[in-house]
Amino acid sequence: MKMHYIAAATMLLASAGCATRSVVVTDPDGIGTPLTSKIEAQDIRATVEKMAESLIADPGVLEVTNGERPVLDIEPMQNRSQMIVDMRSITDSIRMRLIRSRLFRFVDRSTAGADITIMDEQAQLGLTDRRKAIRPGQQSAAQMYLTGALSEITTKAGRTTDRYYKFSMTLKDLRSGEIVWADEKEIRKVASRSIF
Amino acid sequence: MKFAHFSAIALALAFAAGCTTTAGTSVVVNHETGSSALYEGNTRLHNAVAVTGVTYDKVPAGLNRVNFQLTSLVQRQQNLQYRISWYNSEGMEIDAESRTYRPLVLQGMDAVTVTGVANSPAAVTSRIRIRETK
Repeated sequence: MKMHYIAAATMLLASAGCATRSVVVTDPDGIGTPLTSKIEAQDIRATVEKMAESLIADPGVLEVTNGERPVLDIEPMQNRSQMIVDMRSITDSIRMRLIRSRLFRFVDRSTAGADITIMDEQAQLGLTDRRKAIRPGQQSAAQMYLTGALSEITTKAGRTTDRYYKFSMTLKDLRSGEIVWADEKEIRKVASRSIF
Repeated sequence: MKFAHFSAIALALAFAAGCTTTAGTSVVVNHETGSSALYEGNTRLHNAVAVTGVTYDKVPAGLNRVNFQLTSLVQRQQNLQYRISWYNSEGMEIDAESRTYRPLVLQGMDAVTVTGVANSPAAVTSRIRIRETK
C-alpha cells in the first residue's frame, strides 16, 4: 500500500514536469508579480502614468502659459542606471499620454530631417502644386521641453540584493529658463536567493 | 504510512501555491451626481482592506481628480495593486489600454490615500479596482 502512494506521488511529479514550455498571450497588466529585481514592464507603465498625471494636474504649467495649450518638446531621458532600458520608448509613451489629454501640443525635433526632406521634394520634384507646397519656416516653436533621468542604487549583502530606482522628470520654460514642473517616481525591489 | 502522508501534503501544498485569484474590490464614483457604489468579489480581500473614504475635485486644467482612502483591517503587510479607470457619460471607458495597475504596499492597520486624475474632460465617472498580488 505504501508503494502505491509513493508510485502515485512520483507519477504526479513526473507529469508536472512534462509541460516544460508553454506560451500564453497575457494582459500587459498581468498579475504583476516581479520576475526579477530589475526594472520591468509594469514599472515603466506605472511610471509613465504617474508622470503624465502629475504634469496634467500641476497648476504651474497653465499659469506660465496663461491658460493656453503650451508647445512642448521632449529630450530623451538619460539612463544613469546599469540596466539597458529603451529610454526613448519611455518618453514616447509619456508624450502619447500628454497628447491624448488634449492639454498640450508637441513638436518633435527628432524628425526634423524627414520634415526637410519632404519639403524639398515638394518644392523641387514638380509633383506638388507649388501653391500648396509647405515651405520651411512656418512650424511652431517649442515653448518648453521635458527632460529626465533614470538612476539606480544597488546594494548587495549576502544572498540579498536591494535595488532602488528613481525616475525623475522636469519641465523647463525655454524663455525664462525656469523649471516649471518636476516630479519623480521611486521603485525599490529586494530579491533574496534561496539556500538550495 | 507517514511518508505517504507527507507526500500527499507536500503535493497539495505545491498545487495550492499556484492558485491565485485576480478578483478584487471595486468602487465606482459618479462625479456628476456624487453617488458611489462598492463591489466586492474577493472575500479574503474584503476582510483585509476597506475603502474608507472617497473625495473628488477638479484640477486647474478642468479635469476630474479622485482620492480613495484604503485602510488595512489586518496587522500584516499587504502587497496589493490598484487601477483607477475613467468613463464618459455614456459609460464607455476612456483610454482603457493606457491605464495600468499600480503597486501598493499597505502596512498593518494603516491607511493610505491613492489619487487618480482623468485623462480627458469627457471623464465623469471613476472606478478603482484593488486586487491582491502573489
